[in-house]
Amino acid sequence: MKKALLVIMIIALAVSAFAMGAKEATGTAPAGAAPIKIGATWPLADITGKQGSMAAQQAVDEINAAGGVLGRKLELIVVDDELKADKGAAAIEKLVTVDNVDLLIGGMASGVALGQIPVMKKYAKVVISTGAASYKVEEGLGAEADWYFHLHPWDYNQGQSYADGWEAIQKKFGNVKIQKIFLAYEEGAFGKASFDASKTLFGGRYTFDGAPFKSAAFGGGDYASVLEAAKKYGPDLFLWAGYDADALPMLEQAKAMKFNPGIYLGAPPGWPADFGKSPLAENVMLYGMWAPSINGVSPASKKFYDGFMAKYNTEPATYFAPLSYSAVYIAADAIKRAGSTDTAALIKALAATNYASPLGQTITFTPSNIIKHQGVKNQKILQWQKGRQEVIWPFESATAAPVYPFPAWK
Amino acid sequence: MKLKSSYIVVAVLSVIAIAFPAFLGAYPLNVARSIMTYMALAISWDMLLRSGQISFGIAGLFGLGSYASALAVLRGGMDPMLSIVFAAAFAGVMAYALGFAILRLRSMYFSITTLALMEIFRIVMHNLHDFSGGPEGVVLPSVIFKGASPALYWLCLAGLFLTIGVSWFFEKSKMHLALTAIRNDETSARSSGVNIFNYLLIAFVITSVLQGMMGAIQVQSYGFTTPDTAFDANFTLLPLAMALLGGIHSTIGPMAGAVLLGVASEWLKLKIPYGHLVVYGIIIILVILFMPQGLFGLARKARRERSKAGASHE
Repeated sequence: MKKALLVIMIIALAVSAFAMGAKEATGTAPAGAAPIKIGATWPLADITGKQGSMAAQQAVDEINAAGGVLGRKLELIVVDDELKADKGAAAIEKLVTVDNVDLLIGGMASGVALGQIPVMKKYAKVVISTGAASYKVEEGLGAEADWYFHLHPWDYNQGQSYADGWEAIQKKFGNVKIQKIFLAYEEGAFGKASFDASKTLFGGRYTFDGAPFKSAAFGGGDYASVLEAAKKYGPDLFLWAGYDADALPMLEQAKAMKFNPGIYLGAPPGWPADFGKSPLAENVMLYGMWAPSINGVSPASKKFYDGFMAKYNTEPATYFAPLSYSAVYIAADAIKRAGSTDTAALIKALAATNYASPLGQTITFTPSNIIKHQGVKNQKILQWQKGRQEVIWPFESATAAPVYPFPAWK
Repeated sequence: MKLKSSYIVVAVLSVIAIAFPAFLGAYPLNVARSIMTYMALAISWDMLLRSGQISFGIAGLFGLGSYASALAVLRGGMDPMLSIVFAAAFAGVMAYALGFAILRLRSMYFSITTLALMEIFRIVMHNLHDFSGGPEGVVLPSVIFKGASPALYWLCLAGLFLTIGVSWFFEKSKMHLALTAIRNDETSARSSGVNIFNYLLIAFVITSVLQGMMGAIQVQSYGFTTPDTAFDANFTLLPLAMALLGGIHSTIGPMAGAVLLGVASEWLKLKIPYGHLVVYGIIIILVILFMPQGLFGLARKARRERSKAGASHE
């Protein structure tokens, strides 16, 4: 019994300590009557969700400091989806039925979004989604879901933009020549979808091959066989689709094997926070939607970046931060134009969105393959140069020329 | 008299559980569904544990049930309710076939084999692209009962009631004596005429049926499945932790553990949005380290100590 008492005391202390810390970290809801409530779900233990929610709170604070919307303050209520479909669905139920939010934002993983769709359909609240790239999510939503505004590009949008990007880069920079492409992909849904989409897009124009690997995020981390296959293939463009945990170990093994493709490119949803500080990162290319270097060409990006640094004293390490920040501003702007939070009026106002985002591009909503309201349809091609992510393509937001070919290992 | 009063308590609690949708909103009902799913898995895991066999294959059979139900609806045009029965039977048939091979194994060899089976099921679903949808999984045209919260709750409750009923049957019938005898000493059990393999096979098949059924209920309630979600290791690890917290070798122990950990998980998430998983993990580690006999075991121990103290005073 003494042991049990000890366990209960330790648990009580731990809960109190964390709860106090959480209160300090998340702050309190703004004072004043009847705030406009924005409900959000993200995976808060993952850097994408953590920084996404932080950036959304930053946007809410900025808007409230400027007087709010329609004379009312905004209130952000965030629930962790824990990267689980059932938890994500329960979070939506709570936000809609307990917190009575006016609209929903957020999301990262497609697997969670698939579990949330039935609940979202049941309530048909306006949703501004910051994640869920899988075409399966779009299939699950169907054409009737006019309340769903999808900011993140679908997987096929991303694939198309990469194909367009490499064409444009080869045209502009005569020394960049791509004939053979090899894709190393993690064996899960994300990697397989990337492989299928890339094969369809690149297969006709280029010689294309690939092989799977078990991501370090799921207990893997040995890339010898996939890198050996790639080395044997001799690609001009080597790309890998995995997770942040794969970034450095794969580079280290590529160096050990003296694998030198013309272009070494990674496409994880997020990068390790200090990846740029590693000497191995130099001249690695990546797909993404945002980088701090965009501050130089986009005032909206600079405003977001400076505000984030001032509020949290840490650099945004994932594009989910500016994307989530954008979601709040898009929602606030639409509520203002609609003059209310009525769903029909809000849908109409959101459909007319024209927002100069921190991503370095203006966001509007146009139809995609199935849904009516698709926001961003492209990703960017970037490159680590001197510890910074520089934008190579699209050229209108480019911050540097590509370093090509990928230098030989020393 | 004692038996009758316990029946009354069970009946009252059952009526309260059935009536929950009358006074609870969609959110608590959703959380309750999640807790009931884990509770049923924890009880079914414990049912086999009563024979001394520790299975790590819960997620494998749960995922198998998910896929059997989803694919029966999608590819076979089966009615969703019927697909749940089909999935449960499919998991049972698979367990029956596999049982002949793996129930000859004992202790960690059995545990590791069940763990490997889970991974094999996942890899098979992963690679049957045209049939199972591959890594991206499958999306159902709609969820069962059009997603109505009370109906989904009652469906899950029905699955749980069935699991509890079977578990109590295990406790009250000669299955209990046979499984306990096998756990305590196989040689003695065999010499007493207990057909060890048969009893283990029955327990393995029945618990697999229950786990497959809960997987089918889950997929019909959320309308999709992928290998990563259906065979998620959490469907193995959390039921284990719940049973250990509540107390093993009983029906009430895993039930108590599931309620406590399930409610704690949701409560911690709302109170500590950015650190709840750390606290949750600490709770599970502390419980396993310091309370291996679980709450039910502690209560039993306290009762024994009290009666011993009472006897010494006399």
